[in-house]
Amino acid sequence: MRYVVQAVRMNLRRAAQYRSSFLLQTIAQLIMTGGDLWAVLMLLERFGGMGHWGRYEILFFFGAMHLVFSFTEIADRGLGRFSSMIRTGSFDTVLVRPRGALLQVMLAEMDPRRIGSILVALTSLIVASRGLALRWTAAKILLLLWSAMGTGCLMMGLFLLEAVVCFFSVQSIEIVNVLTYGGRQVCQYPMDLYTGWIRTLFTAVVPIALCLQMPVSVILERQEMLAGMQPGWVWAFPLLGPCVFGLIALIWMAGVRHYRSTGT
Amino acid sequence: MRLKAYWTAFAVQAKQISRYRAAAFGGMVTQAFFGTMLVALYDTLIGDRTLFRETVTYVWIQQIFFRAFFTSDTEFNEQIIQGAVCYTLLRPVDLHLWCVIREMAGKIVNVLMRLVPMVLLLFLLPEAWRIRPPESTLGLVQFTVSLGVGFLSIAQINLIVSAVLMRTMDNKGITAMINLIMMILGGNIIPLTIVPERIQTLLRYQPFAQMLDAPIRMYLHTMSAPEWLLSLGIQLFWLAAMGCLSRGLWSRNIRRIELQGG
Repeated sequence: MRYVVQAVRMNLRRAAQYRSSFLLQTIAQLIMTGGDLWAVLMLLERFGGMGHWGRYEILFFFGAMHLVFSFTEIADRGLGRFSSMIRTGSFDTVLVRPRGALLQVMLAEMDPRRIGSILVALTSLIVASRGLALRWTAAKILLLLWSAMGTGCLMMGLFLLEAVVCFFSVQSIEIVNVLTYGGRQVCQYPMDLYTGWIRTLFTAVVPIALCLQMPVSVILERQEMLAGMQPGWVWAFPLLGPCVFGLIALIWMAGVRHYRSTGT
Repeated sequence: MRLKAYWTAFAVQAKQISRYRAAAFGGMVTQAFFGTMLVALYDTLIGDRTLFRETVTYVWIQQIFFRAFFTSDTEFNEQIIQGAVCYTLLRPVDLHLWCVIREMAGKIVNVLMRLVPMVLLLFLLPEAWRIRPPESTLGLVQFTVSLGVGFLSIAQINLIVSAVLMRTMDNKGITAMINLIMMILGGNIIPLTIVPERIQTLLRYQPFAQMLDAPIRMYLHTMSAPEWLLSLGIQLFWLAAMGCLSRGLWSRNIRRIELQGG
């Protein structure tokens, strides 16, 4: 635990070294999520709502997804840089240190610039919740945090999957982006707007719909997504996140055991 | 003699970029996936089937030409930062024009590499989700000419970024920001054709809509001669404006460029 605190502090100090670059890149993040938000607002303006969802409900889904995703990205940017760690051989230094390799890689780099995205996501959540005049109870807040935690673990698992692919090939990891960034893109809208294999993919294979969207729909007091299920059941779904993460972490560790250095 | 030098620059850069075929394939699969997700969403949202088919086609053209938004001449930007640009400065050519030509070569090859496999890939989708052919041959000609002008104006933006780079030496921030603005206002994030009417009239005339949005509109609806000339005129106006800006910045910054390294 002390190691985690140390690593976090070091990362923040590093970001503070390059102030103007940090500022520019934070603004870039703001524009990026702002652009996504702009697209959603334009669609809502044009079509009124989406399916049976009203505009503030859509905004709520959008905010929840981006909030979880940006927090995950702050925490484990190091996983995204894993391919270059393997290519340059600096992963070897990680392996000789007396701390868990997985923890070190995850904490290797943090990305506080995502604060730009978080601002946009948080604003849309607040605006949505006011627009809906949502009655917040302790249980609802708890459910939101709980599902955010589960989804965060799930996304982290997907980033880790990207790192697993690196053991086999240091190129063409772009394709795994389909699940992480693609997942964010798809799941900023409620899953029942989609049909066929897309819905199956993000419900059964990459269960973002279960971990995040079903709890959110319960918070919004809408039953349609649950397909007749008791609302209490959604408390169980976020547990899928840590399960997926654990599974992929096991594969990753097996990969480490078979790892052969590329360095000199 | 002079002309030959520029032609060689074009050919060399085209050959260079065509080496990255594997990267092009990986990017293409990602592009196809993101496009499919957008199409799936619009399928639910847009009740009007004609508008839906048009939007699908819009999305796919954006995805196919998406790579053209980004600079293909990362080598030159790298040179600015590392100082190797001094060798390029010695060339007895108009450097700005030289770089425009390299940029264009890269864009054209990048697009041609992706065009055919991407269209083939789209045949895996249900028919309503595929790109539809242009309305007429005339429309295709209008589209192609306009696309050329569009690429030239993207090249000017890419060169403006390089000019800023000569002064600031910070690559990431400014590039990311300009790329995002191009994608948002250029119609990649959301087709400018489905934005509400009153905002759309504003959006159509801003410079970033002249890059891909204006050509796509010709692909979707063949224009009458005066209509087309007006649209092309707006494109050329912005091209001239951005060309002047980027040339001005270049001639100023190249004189004061600070070389890095020894």
